[in-house]
Amino acid sequence: MFSTHYKLERKSIGLALGIMLVASIGGLVEIAPLFTIDETVEAAPDMRTYTPLELAGRNIYIREGCYACHSQMIRTLQDDVERYGPYSLAVESKYDHPMLWGSKRTGPDLARLGGKYSDAWQVAHLINPRDVVPESVMPAYGWLARNRLRTDDLGKHLATQRTVGVPYTDAQIANAEADALAQANPDGDGVDGLTERYGKATNVRSFDGDKQVVTEMDALVAYLQILGKLTDAAHKPAPATAEASTK
Amino acid sequence: MVSELTVAERERAMGITGLLALCGMIMAIGGSNDPLGVHGFIVLLFAVAMLFVVASGYFAPEPPESRLQSYYDSPTKAGIVIAMVWAVFGMFIGDWVAWLLAYPELTFDAAWASFGRLRPVHTTGVIFAFGGNALIATSFHVMQRTSRARMPDQFSPWFVLMGYNLFCILAISGYFIGITQSKEYAEPEWYADVWLVIVWVTYFILYIRTLMRRKEPHIYVANWYYLAFILVVAILHIVNGLAVPVSFLSAKSYSLFSGVQDAMTQWWYGHNAVAFFLTAGFLGMLYYYLPKRAERPIYSYRMSIVGFWGITFFYMWAGSHHLHFTALPQWVQTLGMTFSLTLLVPSWIAAANALLTLNGAWDKVRDDATLRFMMIAAVFYGLSTFEGSFMAIRAVNSLSHYTDWTVGHVHAGALGWVAMIIFGAFYATVPSLWKRKRMYSPALVEVHFWLALAGTLVYVFAMWNSGIIQGLMWRTYTESGTLAYSFTDTLVAMHPYYIARAVGGLLFLLGAIVGCYNIWMTIRHDAEAPRATGQETPLPAAPAPSLQPAE
Amino acid sequence: MIFDHHTLVGFAKSVGLFYLIGLSLAALAYALWPSNRERFDRAAKAILEDSEDTPCL
Repeated sequence: MFSTHYKLERKSIGLALGIMLVASIGGLVEIAPLFTIDETVEAAPDMRTYTPLELAGRNIYIREGCYACHSQMIRTLQDDVERYGPYSLAVESKYDHPMLWGSKRTGPDLARLGGKYSDAWQVAHLINPRDVVPESVMPAYGWLARNRLRTDDLGKHLATQRTVGVPYTDAQIANAEADALAQANPDGDGVDGLTERYGKATNVRSFDGDKQVVTEMDALVAYLQILGKLTDAAHKPAPATAEASTK
Repeated sequence: MVSELTVAERERAMGITGLLALCGMIMAIGGSNDPLGVHGFIVLLFAVAMLFVVASGYFAPEPPESRLQSYYDSPTKAGIVIAMVWAVFGMFIGDWVAWLLAYPELTFDAAWASFGRLRPVHTTGVIFAFGGNALIATSFHVMQRTSRARMPDQFSPWFVLMGYNLFCILAISGYFIGITQSKEYAEPEWYADVWLVIVWVTYFILYIRTLMRRKEPHIYVANWYYLAFILVVAILHIVNGLAVPVSFLSAKSYSLFSGVQDAMTQWWYGHNAVAFFLTAGFLGMLYYYLPKRAERPIYSYRMSIVGFWGITFFYMWAGSHHLHFTALPQWVQTLGMTFSLTLLVPSWIAAANALLTLNGAWDKVRDDATLRFMMIAAVFYGLSTFEGSFMAIRAVNSLSHYTDWTVGHVHAGALGWVAMIIFGAFYATVPSLWKRKRMYSPALVEVHFWLALAGTLVYVFAMWNSGIIQGLMWRTYTESGTLAYSFTDTLVAMHPYYIARAVGGLLFLLGAIVGCYNIWMTIRHDAEAPRATGQETPLPAAPAPSLQPAE
Repeated sequence: MIFDHHTLVGFAKSVGLFYLIGLSLAALAYALWPSNRERFDRAAKAILEDSEDTPCL
């Protein structure tokens, strides 16, 4: 009696172990090599990290589910490249935790959106997309201009980013909140510190046109304006020509 | 229902809900200036409500020993009702967002009501809340029947069911208030993920403990599929969910992986969630309820085993077909494409096995809408797995990817296969669970069937059209070699299909509402009162009046 | 890292392939093994034998 029970136990647990083993090997073999990919990936010494304001904007992009309708991944197809710009390189999203490559283009790809439109256009478009693009089916994001941006915890956000591998310095973490406020206020006295920590090319302006309050709109537009601009790697003389699959 | 628990189990339940309430309180107070606080209140409220339910039945007498002679079906009954409520909720949100794409103004000027937040509410609502509850409910039913053994205790099935629903509530309420990890189909934040792991481990242990009590040496194949669903979903969920929270009192976390690694992990998860959540579990359902309803053994038990191992190891390699022509190394893309094509073999083995089982029972399929639900599910399973393999081919994918074709493909699977097999299984189980002779109205089952089928077809054809049109417009060049259409040109072209899609979704939603009404009336209806309308549905055998020998 | 990218990719492509072929053969052999036939036939029919409400003893 007892021995049969023991055998039965072995069988169900054996089945469970078999399933786990068989299933995990597939994943391991496919994914493991990718963790050594750094050896083969393009180098981009000029790659910079997101400023605290841009990171906050990125988190708003995530919160509002923008990734569900906009990809940030230009494929190596000719029409993709002609429509959106040089195809995306792996290195360009190496600081993206998580990546926002997307899976659907209900709206256009945004990988190289930065600098394509003015801040005023972006703000008007976010407040009511149909004011600037009559055919658009994008939601209106009026509340972004009404909500004050939360900045008190940005230091912690940068510190966490460093834990997962983004090279933020101690100074950047310590000044995260001040830097976020400074980036949206070109007249303030924090601007020098900000550009010293993140580079002269950092966009410093009142993105939503109101210098008094730093809103979620400021953060999101700051993020949109940096898309595709963290490194020039993709614009360097083409490493390989785009695969032409369009006839 | 609390009276079915032993006194010791009632105490355990109170202890655990008390602990949960404490966690909720800590989250609510500690995270008071963070979205986490809202979730703390939800956890607290949920735990207090559960505590109240258990406490109100605490002094009921100990359940009789005779309970051990019968299966424990109360959690299955509750799971079916909960699944149907989630179905209507998730499909309603789905149809709302479908209308939003045709008429973007059909909403409120509020963050919670925007497309980006509603869309994960829809996907989680239908996949995890509706599908997940249906899987849990039917797995409890199937594992006991096929093992001819009662579940080992009364508490753990309730913990699994209620715990899972707390996870669903946290996930869905989180999207409304802006809590999301942005990983598609894995959006809930770190603490909800941790909670799901606890629930899932309990689920697995419960399943194994029940199997260990079985009277048959052989484990029936439906259990293999349910087990694969439970185990592999756990692996996927844990690996893809790896993240570092900003602080333990913050809802926000950052994923451990970035860029290419994150993309590959995400779509390894995403594709295998389709494989093991939306396929393996539901094949388990199919392999029990279809032969049972058709009253014929499965056509080939051997095919079901070959298909099982094929699905378990081929699927794992196919995820990278979601990333064709991206920055992912080409060899991984090719690997994904190859395995997606070979996947067709185990998939079609399962679909063919189901349809061949019906050979000789086609008269039943004609007369019985419940069996017809299962038959159509098998057909759509075959169709959408073929379509999936087709779309994984690089050349096809270059056209279909990022378009509505993908959306159409997913819904051919989700509406045509997953939802249809659930409805079939529910209609087959509900009468016997509640000791009724048959569904309240077989005619309404028929109505539901045609609404569901019409809705699915309208939806899928609309999306095929809009997807292919958009894909072609994106790559059309003028004679002078420039792109012929702007992005907004394609939006205008898709507008009529978006309306058609929303209408298809509405039909499907109406069908689900009819199903809810029918199930509710079956539950409420007096078992004895015979009904005059509708044709006779084949019955599962009447309750056996006397004990039968075990073997 | 002990293994470089190239080795890992090579390993995935070669050993992975043999692993899959081996596993497929094992699954086929198990399913078609003559002595398993009786057990499988029994399992396929067993679920139809008792009604849903049969006591579980």
